[in-house]
Order: sequence, then structure tokens, then C-alpha cells
Amino acid sequence: MQLGEVIGTATATVKHPSMNGWKLLIVQPYLADGTTPDAEPVLAIDDRGAGRGERVIITSDGAGTRALVGSDNTPVRWSVLGIADQ
Amino acid sequence: MRIGKVIGTVTLNRWHESLRGASYRIVVPMSLDNLRGESQPKAEEFVVYDELGAGAGSLIAISEGGEAAQPFRPEIKPVDAYCAAILDSIDL
Repeated sequence: MQLGEVIGTATATVKHPSMNGWKLLIVQPYLADGTTPDAEPVLAIDDRGAGRGERVIITSDGAGTRALVGSDNTPVRWSVLGIADQ
Repeated sequence: MRIGKVIGTVTLNRWHESLRGASYRIVVPMSLDNLRGESQPKAEEFVVYDELGAGAGSLIAISEGGEAAQPFRPEIKPVDAYCAAILDSIDL
């Protein structure tokens, strides 16, 4: 699990069918200092309602994400677990 | 999934039997600065399996590692990068 900041959203019409109806957030993970970007931003699906500028915990647990999506065939790995208060 | 920009296409004349009919794009991953237009992508490009028909210049969602082969289950394919979506817009 990693802490990241929601920096934006993405939309797609042509996509894997398992992604239909899911909001796609662009999340930038950070290094331990909390300000240096850790590699490229990732696309994560979200059903928690996280918005731009919020700190979120994202998980790279593909099996967990497959269960969340309800599809064994989804190519999605990252999903939002929760929104950090502070 | 990372966001990548399609910069080209690969065609093969021999392939692993499980990859017959597949189509491939050459993609560079996009950093935050790249997405904001503050710098040009300079990361190493790689090949992505594409069955959605992404064109040159498109931004796509790239699924990597184990998840990249997940859409083919129960078939097994030696794919470690898969175009999961063609992005219409990104709002930063």
C-alpha cells in the first residue's frame, strides 16, 4: 500500500469491459519525505469518492482489485483503499 | 497502470503460437512533468499488447506484470504489458 495524492482524473470510452462504470483517478505516489514524486503517476480505480488534492492509500494488490471489480479478467491492479484525514 | 504515449507500432513475422493475430504498440511511460507538458518523455520505451486499436500519439492505460496477462485467462499468454484503455481525456 502506498500513500499518494490524487492529481487528476482520466476518462476512456474504449477500454477493457471490466472497467465500465469505474472512476479512474491519476494518483502520484510520493517518497517518504511526502513531496518527492516516486516514479510515474498511476491510474487507480476508486469507489470511495476521492477527489483532487486528497491524500489516498492505494494498493497494488491485483487479486484484491479483481475481487473489488468482480472480474477475474480485469487488467487493473491499483485501487483506492481509503482517504487519509491527515 | 501507468499512462503511456503511443509512439509507434511493431509487426512480427514470427511469433509465439499464443500471440497469433496480436498487435503491438511502442509506448513511452509518462511522468507527472510529461503529462503537464513541462518536459518531453525520456523514459525507455517498451512494447505493449494492444487489442483496442490505439493510434500513434494516443495516451493509453498500461497494465503491467501479472495483471497484463489476466484478460486472457484461462488462456496463458506471455504478455507483461497490456493496453487496458485508450484515454479520451486527462484532467490534471
